[in-house]
Amino acid sequence: MQGFVATSLIGISLGAQYALLALGFTLIFGILGVVNFAHGGFYVLGGYLAYSAVTYLGMPYALAVLCAALGTTVLGFLFQRFMLDRVIDDHLATLMLTLGLYLMVSSGILVVFGPQSPAFSFPLTGVIHGHGFFVPIENLVVLGVCIIGILSMYGLIYYTDFGRALRALADDRAVATAQGLRPAILFPAAFALATGLAGLTGALVTPTLSLAPHIGDPVLATSFLIVILGGLGSIGGATVAAFIVGMAEAFSAVYLGGSKGALALFVLVLVMLVVKPSGLFGQRVRGA
Amino acid sequence: MSTTRRDLLLSGIAVGAALASSNVSVMAAGQELTLGVVGVLSGPAAQWGLALRGAVELVAAEANRDGLIKVDGAPCKVNVVAIDSKYTAEGAAAAANTLAGQGVKFIIGPIGSPELTGVKPIAKRNSMLVMGNGYAKDALSPQLPLIFHMGPGPSGWAEPIIKIAKQKFGLKSVVLVAPNDQGGTDIASVDADAYKRTGITATEEYYQRGTTNFAPIVTRIMNAKPDAVDLASSPPGDAGIIVKQLRQAGFEGPIGRLGGPGYSEISRVAGGDEVLKDFYWYEPVLIDEKVQLIADEYKKLLGAERPENNLFFQWVSAARMVTKAIAKAGTISDTAKVAEALRSLPVEDPNIGPGHWIGQDFFGINQELSFPFGVGLVEKGKLQPTIRVEAAGGK
Repeated sequence: MQGFVATSLIGISLGAQYALLALGFTLIFGILGVVNFAHGGFYVLGGYLAYSAVTYLGMPYALAVLCAALGTTVLGFLFQRFMLDRVIDDHLATLMLTLGLYLMVSSGILVVFGPQSPAFSFPLTGVIHGHGFFVPIENLVVLGVCIIGILSMYGLIYYTDFGRALRALADDRAVATAQGLRPAILFPAAFALATGLAGLTGALVTPTLSLAPHIGDPVLATSFLIVILGGLGSIGGATVAAFIVGMAEAFSAVYLGGSKGALALFVLVLVMLVVKPSGLFGQRVRGA
Repeated sequence: MSTTRRDLLLSGIAVGAALASSNVSVMAAGQELTLGVVGVLSGPAAQWGLALRGAVELVAAEANRDGLIKVDGAPCKVNVVAIDSKYTAEGAAAAANTLAGQGVKFIIGPIGSPELTGVKPIAKRNSMLVMGNGYAKDALSPQLPLIFHMGPGPSGWAEPIIKIAKQKFGLKSVVLVAPNDQGGTDIASVDADAYKRTGITATEEYYQRGTTNFAPIVTRIMNAKPDAVDLASSPPGDAGIIVKQLRQAGFEGPIGRLGGPGYSEISRVAGGDEVLKDFYWYEPVLIDEKVQLIADEYKKLLGAERPENNLFFQWVSAARMVTKAIAKAGTISDTAKVAEALRSLPVEDPNIGPGHWIGQDFFGINQELSFPFGVGLVEKGKLQPTIRVEAAGGK
């Protein structure tokens, strides 16, 4: 029972982080029809922006996290507005552009900061120990912020005019545009929202693990896995899938070991996709 | 799409230019020796590759300064070409192929077992001499006489370090953690055998390379209740996170890393020496005043601080052996002759000291350089002076 509780806590913690990441990834696909290969890059960039703000500008960590989220939001907006928007209907071109941006971001970070992990720690270091389980306080803080982020995202998409406008554009761009909605502003805003979430997650999570130029690769892979499992473009599906993946990863690794656990996770996803190929909450995929 | 006369003309000019430039490089190669570097220059293990590249650049600069390499009595300039192997077999094979295509006959590197596995067939096919690393159980073999090892693997140094750790920390059981590829399993299994020979119960735990959050693995380790944890060849970035999460989980025992250097980055990622608490690791070279002169030399010749990772010093000694062998053989193309010269050279480095060729018992061929090495120690959160261990011999 103790092992079950400890493993569940790890799964929830992983799931919340994955959900925050995957929400941005699926939002971009759902609204813009773009598979954003630069998503991991914004995560890394968020980490390095927060690190720079703390280390070189002496900012308090909380403010640095906000600055990192803002920085990745602005970069995402500019990238979509001035580069991606020109080729938004060409899947191959958007793929190449986002992949190119990722390579530029990771290479740029490598040149500026070097390949080694810098010293970047979470300001709170305590650990709560219970019967057979432990929870680092930093994980609780990250979990809390992730939950707030996820709920805010839901509120924004489903209960605001902005969210309704985005969903209308995702449903039928031609009709929505004829109704007066402006994709030239709303698309970059949606992209910026997603990249801001990735940056926020990077700024929050990297000091609890480690920060290095390459860490966007597994982030992209995990986001992809979750979004496919949840159903491409489905915000609810991505959230549920993120927690399923987090739990599956935790339980399989604890009870089967690191190697068999990784295999079990992919087998689980494979079986679920065989049963329901469109993903858990699969819906009509936007035709761009 | 139709091909116009203009397109044909432009293509002709491009092909002509390419042929002309390749001809120029072939001519230049006649008077220059190019040392190829195949090493990981990106990703979590990049500091190992940067150490390798820096070392070879230094040795090339030394050779050029001293006019060490002569072909038919004429001085030969030494160049370095480094290619990122991405710490994968396919990346290293691609890098070796690229070097072979450029006519490079000498490779210093690669670093990890998967990379060496990728390089070996290319090197054999192109008669390239390789001074590599890689702690794989099949890193060397009598069938590949042009492959040399820059330093012993865990078969050479694990046991003496474990004896010191056992004496200091009184270990009875250990869990070894490493990535689940050849770069992890070949080292962790040899380390595990060495622990067992020393009377310590050892179990192995592997994780998928690319894992970023080790909390589930740490929970698994805690359930096993070992006296110590050994991170074997886990990359420094991964090792730092594992140490941090182990301490958060309440693990109080010593943590080792019998897989390679990287203490500084591990300490940085984990949160400092206080988090490391009791920590021991293999330090390829004991850095005393004499060895430190290599760093000074690097600054003088290359105008920068030496790469942080201490593998740098070991690569310097290995690359120096190769350039000495090339100088002795008097050829920059006949690698068999250079290999013969290398085997016959006394193993000695002006800064690191004397060593031996070893490897006969473990690999069946005596082509593994063995110099004195060190055991790094952090005790109760304080960094201790590195313990010197004489070069392993006879294995």
